[in-house]
Amino acid sequence: MNDTIIHDSIKVASKVITKVTETDDRTNWWMWLATFELGIIVYLILKNKLKSKIAKKKQFRSEALRQDIDFNNIINSSFNSLKLYDELKTRCHPDRFPTDEEKNLIAENLFQEISKNKMNIKRLLELKEEAIQKLKIDF
Amino acid sequence: MLENTWNNIIDWFRDRSERARLVRSFNDSAKNSFVSGIAPTLLKASISKGESSYKHQFSNWLNSGYRIQAFTGRVLSKNELIHIGNVILDDSVLVRRLIVLGFDTLEIHGDAGAYGCRWQLKDYILLPKFNENE
Repeated sequence: MNDTIIHDSIKVASKVITKVTETDDRTNWWMWLATFELGIIVYLILKNKLKSKIAKKKQFRSEALRQDIDFNNIINSSFNSLKLYDELKTRCHPDRFPTDEEKNLIAENLFQEISKNKMNIKRLLELKEEAIQKLKIDF
Repeated sequence: MLENTWNNIIDWFRDRSERARLVRSFNDSAKNSFVSGIAPTLLKASISKGESSYKHQFSNWLNSGYRIQAFTGRVLSKNELIHIGNVILDDSVLVRRLIVLGFDTLEIHGDAGAYGCRWQLKDYILLPKFNENE
């Protein structure tokens, strides 16, 4: 009697176990499908954002690569701009023209430009020329 | 996706050639200036390892330093090295070009040993924030 009960219960238990594994397999499969779908949705959402980011980066890059660089001016400025700046700074100072109002104003503007272009010898030479013409300074 | 990868490969090669051209142009100008007597010292540009903490969004994985070294001629003082660095950093077009080509460090070195100065390039230009929506 006991033997048959044990036998039956083992049968039932094995049936339950196979059912559980079957349903687990099905759940796993659906889970992977859902994950894949989620992945596609996330990709579609991020795609536009990434696209605009890459496009902006490319635009910034192409703008930067389009402009010309004057290396001769950079190297010349590296060694000679400070000397010229010092000379212009003292010769074009507005305090040198206290009586002439017009020249004082020109000198003030020139002085500001000179200070702004301290590291650019090309621009400093242009300003020197301007000082010779407008302020009649003899360098 | 495949097209994107292909474009990235082409961009990488284009970048390499632009980087080499930038170094070559500087060296040509430096050589001409030294020969004609405009510059008392021969400067030579090269690509170096760079400083990893100076990285920005355009930085290269490797070799992100733009090094300028003083060679023959007279020895440059520290103030002169700083002045050369400041002249380069004052040129916004050059700084932007360096950043776009993956450089993040500017190094100016003297003739002897590893003595020199180093600047973080991203401090001298306002980099746009590409993540933000306009």
